Amino acid sequence: MSEATVIKPDLQFVNEIIKGGGESLKKCYQCATCSVVCNVTPEGNPFPRKEMVLAQWGQKDKLITSADVWLCHQCSDCTAYCPRGAKPGEVLNAIRKQSIKHVAMVPFFARIATEAKLLPVLFAIPMVLFYVILVVLGNAGFTAPRAEGNIMAYHKFVPVPVIDTVFILTAIFAATSAFVGIKRLWNGMKAQAGEMQSSGSLVGDIISSVTTILAHSKFADCNVNRTRQWGHMLLFYSFAGLAVVTTWAIVYLYGFELLGIQPFGPFHFGESPYPNSDPVKILALASSIAFAAGIVILLLNRLSKAGKAGMGSYFDWIFLTIVTGVGATGMLSWALRLADMQAGYFVYYLHLVFIWSLFAYAPYSKFAHLFYRTTAMVFAKNSGRDKK
Amino acid sequence: MAENKVLIVGGGFSGLTAAVEAAEAGSEVILVEKNPYLGGRVTQLNKYFWKLCPPNCGLEIQYKRIKNNGNVTIYTMAEVEKVAGTEGNFDVTIKTKPRFVNDKCTGCNKCAEACDVDRSNDFDFGMSKTKAAYLPHNQAFPLKYVIDAKACKGASCAKCVAACKYDAIHLDMKPETINVKVGAVVMATGWNPYDATRMDNLGFGKVQNVVTNMMMERLAAPNGPTAGKIVRPSDGKEVKNIAFVQCAGSRDENHLAHCSYICCLASIKQATYVRELYPDSKAKIFYIDMRTPGLYENRFYTKIKEDQNVSFLKGKVAKVEQGENGDVKITAEDIHGGGKITETFDMVVLATGMQPSTDSLKGAGITPTDDGFVDQATLPKGIYATGTLKTPVDVARSAQDATGVVMKSIQSLRRK
Repeated sequence: MSEATVIKPDLQFVNEIIKGGGESLKKCYQCATCSVVCNVTPEGNPFPRKEMVLAQWGQKDKLITSADVWLCHQCSDCTAYCPRGAKPGEVLNAIRKQSIKHVAMVPFFARIATEAKLLPVLFAIPMVLFYVILVVLGNAGFTAPRAEGNIMAYHKFVPVPVIDTVFILTAIFAATSAFVGIKRLWNGMKAQAGEMQSSGSLVGDIISSVTTILAHSKFADCNVNRTRQWGHMLLFYSFAGLAVVTTWAIVYLYGFELLGIQPFGPFHFGESPYPNSDPVKILALASSIAFAAGIVILLLNRLSKAGKAGMGSYFDWIFLTIVTGVGATGMLSWALRLADMQAGYFVYYLHLVFIWSLFAYAPYSKFAHLFYRTTAMVFAKNSGRDKK
Repeated sequence: MAENKVLIVGGGFSGLTAAVEAAEAGSEVILVEKNPYLGGRVTQLNKYFWKLCPPNCGLEIQYKRIKNNGNVTIYTMAEVEKVAGTEGNFDVTIKTKPRFVNDKCTGCNKCAEACDVDRSNDFDFGMSKTKAAYLPHNQAFPLKYVIDAKACKGASCAKCVAACKYDAIHLDMKPETINVKVGAVVMATGWNPYDATRMDNLGFGKVQNVVTNMMMERLAAPNGPTAGKIVRPSDGKEVKNIAFVQCAGSRDENHLAHCSYICCLASIKQATYVRELYPDSKAKIFYIDMRTPGLYENRFYTKIKEDQNVSFLKGKVAKVEQGENGDVKITAEDIHGGGKITETFDMVVLATGMQPSTDSLKGAGITPTDDGFVDQATLPKGIYATGTLKTPVDVARSAQDATGVVMKSIQSLRRK
């Protein structure tokens, strides 16, 4: 007889998964329908059937930095076809939450973004932060002086350098968090994979992964949640568009102030607000529309597929709330400014709160999938996992 | 005084057993059967457990007992429309459909020879055709021809009427309503194979040469569409490489939540059909868990594992696609081997499960439970359920259960 294998279940881990949206975990009876209907998994040693049994047995070490858990795109085809209602898609999502916590640079932030009871703390941090700034600026009454030409302008409410300072610091925090998380996840995946069959070109693997992500081609392999592909794509490119807008605005401001570039053609170097005919404004508007459309598609998809694909948990909804909040307050504050209504200042304050939440919690919330799923995709290519 | 009559709804193995047992115990029996023949699902089998004998070996004895006893009144092509009253005194309304053939029929086949209208043969699950004037199958009891009301062109044709030397065919027969009083009711309405087209990933109805296990019985049966040669429906090729997909709809919340109990044994049995017919054939059974409870069943399972050409793979098939030249490609995760595998077979059998047949219960005011079966505890006094209507069982167990239920029904007759 071969030597007995002693399995030590981590019951706390099992409970965390069950509490974190994977309450159906124990219904799984290992039929492997899920692995077959999954079009995203590699053919060899496929997921999510093995993750279900590992999770039932509390095998935290094998799951917490598993590349497979992150390769899952939560199509929910597995959940729709599961004969037991064990919802493998939801269970893997719950494991990913634990994974985010495990690799987090600041574990408390991961808790805020994953535990419903900490919701007040999540918003209290940026609300207090920006309120203190308003008090210091003397604008705590949610009013501000008029700008040149007697118009309403948010840079009189919170000056651009203040915003830039806060968000650059926040971005540095987020980037550091993401870097630490990615490194921990990568090392964990590497330790688990044992001998890596390196493809030799990490850069090549990164380029090929990013290409896959840009084309959203993995989403096309999903069946039940196929409409999600378009929602996600719109949202993805609207984020990219808005990132360009932000950078562009910085170029306008400091190009004018530091380098003395004067407005020319349609390009309005100088302080905001910029007229609606400016290319940056057109891009901002187009991105906002794509953003709104994407959000609506994703929300409707979630709600209409809830029966088949599961309703999601706090983790999913808080992220959708923040993203929707950013878009809604952004559009509303813009509209209120054009309408010259005072309420715009308060909405703008909320806009800052939402944007800060999006940035600061990025490596801790569902947004972290951008970093960690990409990491797993690169790892899968680099280790040969995607081919076996 | 209560009526000394038992109504038995369903003339399959359970109902037949109940009928002969009750009749031989001295009660009058009214046996109502929806089909034009008795014997139910068992008549469609090639061989059945436990002795692997053909269905007539058990059914003939039952028919003989009915004939010899004389206490059983049989209504075929009949359904119970209403059951009213209480234990000891039920008023029953039975509706019969016209057979267009009376008791003078000798089974000479002249009507079928004269008939030039074809109908799809539901007894063979559409894999063969009969004439509109037909004998349901060669072991049919009662041995009487039937004329399919949907296919028959009626009085304008009437070639069968002219061909019949015995004045047995009357195309003007009408549906009839029969009222009877009984003291007890035994529901033995049996089961239907689960509709395999409802599993959209298993290819049935879309991919050629994907059949159900009941179709496989017909393909293997000597009185089936291929006279017992197991060949593919699409091109008649001999099936020498066959796969069985277990739990096709069973143990699945999206379809039948229950384990249908018989399918594992049925697939093993059907693997032996192929192995015996073609010595160079191979069979592969894809399963979640092989469930062969019981001494005999386990022996059967152990024995077939000695055959090197029968293999078992743990992992449910969840994808079925058309291969080349009518072959069938199926995908499963090999749980023990650790990988997704796609293999190609001549033919694939879906081990579809038992769906209790509950349509005719409404008239008796019986509502099945959420899982589709009938729970005896929910039934009014004097009404009993037996066989696969209560829980999935094999033929032997349904016979045992029916015998026990008859005792309860006789008590209902004697109580007052």
